[in-house]
Amino acid sequence: MFLAIKEIKHEKLRYGLIIGMIVLISYLIFVLTSLALGLANSNTDAIKSWNAQSIVLNKDSNISLGQSIITEDQAKNIKLSSKDAYIGQSSVVAKSKGVDQISATYLGIDKDQYLYKDLKLTSGHKATKAHEVVADEKFEQSGYKLGDKIKLNSLKDKYTIVGFTKNAKINVAPILYGRISDWQEIKGMGTTLAASAVVSQNQKTDFSDANLKNYPIQKFIDKLPGYSAQNSTFTFMIAFLMIISLIVIAVFLYILTIQKIPNYAVLRAQGIPAKVLIKTTIAQSVILVISGLVIGTILTILTAIGIPTSVPMSFNIPLLSLVAIGLVLTSILGSLVPIRTILKVDPVEVIGG
Amino acid sequence: MTTIKLTNINKTFGKGLSKVHVLHDINFEANKGELILVLGPSGSGKSTFLTITGGLQTPTSGTVELNGKSLTSASKKDLEKLRLDKIGFVLQSYNLLPYLNVREQFQLVDRVKKQGNLDKKRFDDLIMTLGIEDLLHKYPSELSGGQNQRVAIARALYTDPEIILADEPTAALDSDRVAEVGKMLQELAKEKNKAIVVVTHDLRLQNYADRIYHIIDGKMTEDKATTETKEATEQK
Ligand SMILES: Nc1ncnc2c1ncn2[C@@H]1O[C@H](COP(=O)(O)OP(=O)(O)OP(=O)(O)O)[C@@H](O)[C@H]1O
Ligand SMILES: [Mg+2]
Repeated sequence: MFLAIKEIKHEKLRYGLIIGMIVLISYLIFVLTSLALGLANSNTDAIKSWNAQSIVLNKDSNISLGQSIITEDQAKNIKLSSKDAYIGQSSVVAKSKGVDQISATYLGIDKDQYLYKDLKLTSGHKATKAHEVVADEKFEQSGYKLGDKIKLNSLKDKYTIVGFTKNAKINVAPILYGRISDWQEIKGMGTTLAASAVVSQNQKTDFSDANLKNYPIQKFIDKLPGYSAQNSTFTFMIAFLMIISLIVIAVFLYILTIQKIPNYAVLRAQGIPAKVLIKTTIAQSVILVISGLVIGTILTILTAIGIPTSVPMSFNIPLLSLVAIGLVLTSILGSLVPIRTILKVDPVEVIGG
Repeated sequence: MTTIKLTNINKTFGKGLSKVHVLHDINFEANKGELILVLGPSGSGKSTFLTITGGLQTPTSGTVELNGKSLTSASKKDLEKLRLDKIGFVLQSYNLLPYLNVREQFQLVDRVKKQGNLDKKRFDDLIMTLGIEDLLHKYPSELSGGQNQRVAIARALYTDPEIILADEPTAALDSDRVAEVGKMLQELAKEKNKAIVVVTHDLRLQNYADRIYHIIDGKMTEDKATTETKEATEQK
């Protein structure tokens, strides 16, 4: 440690630049990972908030909520437990005077079922009367307020925002939670449709209808339009970024160590044990990478505070810690690569006669 | 007992046409209590001889013995320990770490060799003799060539080694300083019973040596004349 710190202190510019590089790399990885995760979450936030384990959809819906319908007749064959709930889904465009229109997902829920009961609001109250909705915070961020009357698609009747809730996005679209009877009205098919799907906190909902099928919720999530493609794109992007960054850092540390060979030669001539040299090299890499990571983390936190809420960003501390540990480990590897060179350094060759 | 003994040392570099024979059948001895000078012109093989003696490089043939133990068969680790504990090296250049100030060069030694280094009083005496007491907070790049050399000498002596091997330690020093360093080395040999070998082309050191060897084109001969006159003067 003595040598490691003394050297860093003496060569401020050189080591400063390397720390700077590590800061930028870790910042880049942290921010990208958080952005990717934020986007992934805005696909699934609402589904996660339901705590559902399974979903019943029409078997011809290709596991898509938008394509699924459960008719009144089919609904008669379903035995709902207290952990099951109907949802009626419809894509809508919400408009109100003076604010931007928003493409949203209308979800009709039944006030006697668990989704309605478990719905947590950040302000206002739940929809108790017809044509009342609870909206995702996206609406609030876009300038909609409690009591605002909104027009859905080209329907005659206006809806009133009576409450706001958080984490209510599905497939990136903000949700408007309303009554299932209003959903039937939006669909315009009268009362022949019971719902789009049944979500359940159980593994399975009890039903006997050949046209309906039960799916695990993860399967449903994976089939959200674009979700899997998006995720694998980001996963690969970040993985490549990680690997390349790690190689870059390792190469830099390698060069750094090689440049110090004359110093090692002096120490070897003096009989300083090889152990001390190796410890110094590793200590130095760890100090550099950890300083870089700490600054990178601070920058990431500042970014998270400063970034507009409309950009979804989500920090998964365990994942980011893993990334950080990966950086520390490869940097140790990077500095160990030239250890053979250090051990074989011939003082005479370097020092000369 | 002979402290340092080189027998039939040969050293060649390279292969085939580019092969150079740098040391030819060198036989050399040094004992405790002696200051020995190896004089020779540039390129004669002085540094090669000294680094072989200190175990920094291996001879092509021949044996090196320190205190009766063969260096040629010692492991790298043993050689390392030997250099740290028993040998004080003053190399021709590059003796100091650029990122430690003078005081820290000694602190580093304390960190790896916990015992047997000079105590405070002897250290203070040493840096006074070498005139580096005001340089303790300076970095090597802030020192002159001569100052660098004096710090290197102090560093080599700091571990209180039995054997001191110095390569041109006085090259960048003025005559007054050469006299002081010469006297100091002579005293160290006599009073502390150390074996000191200095290779140099600096004739100013001749007066302080107990014995002198000459090396020319890799061939070493002992200067019996000086040795005999010295013994004669000492007996009077
Ligand atoms: N690693 C090497 N490879 C090839 N030749 C070498 C090597 N080291 C030394 N020599 C050659 O051996 C000869 C003796 O070199 P050495 O450094 O021992 O001389 P020296 O007496 O110390 O000279 P100086 O007084 O200039 O320091 C020189 O001709 C040199 O070119
Ligand atoms: Mg030389």
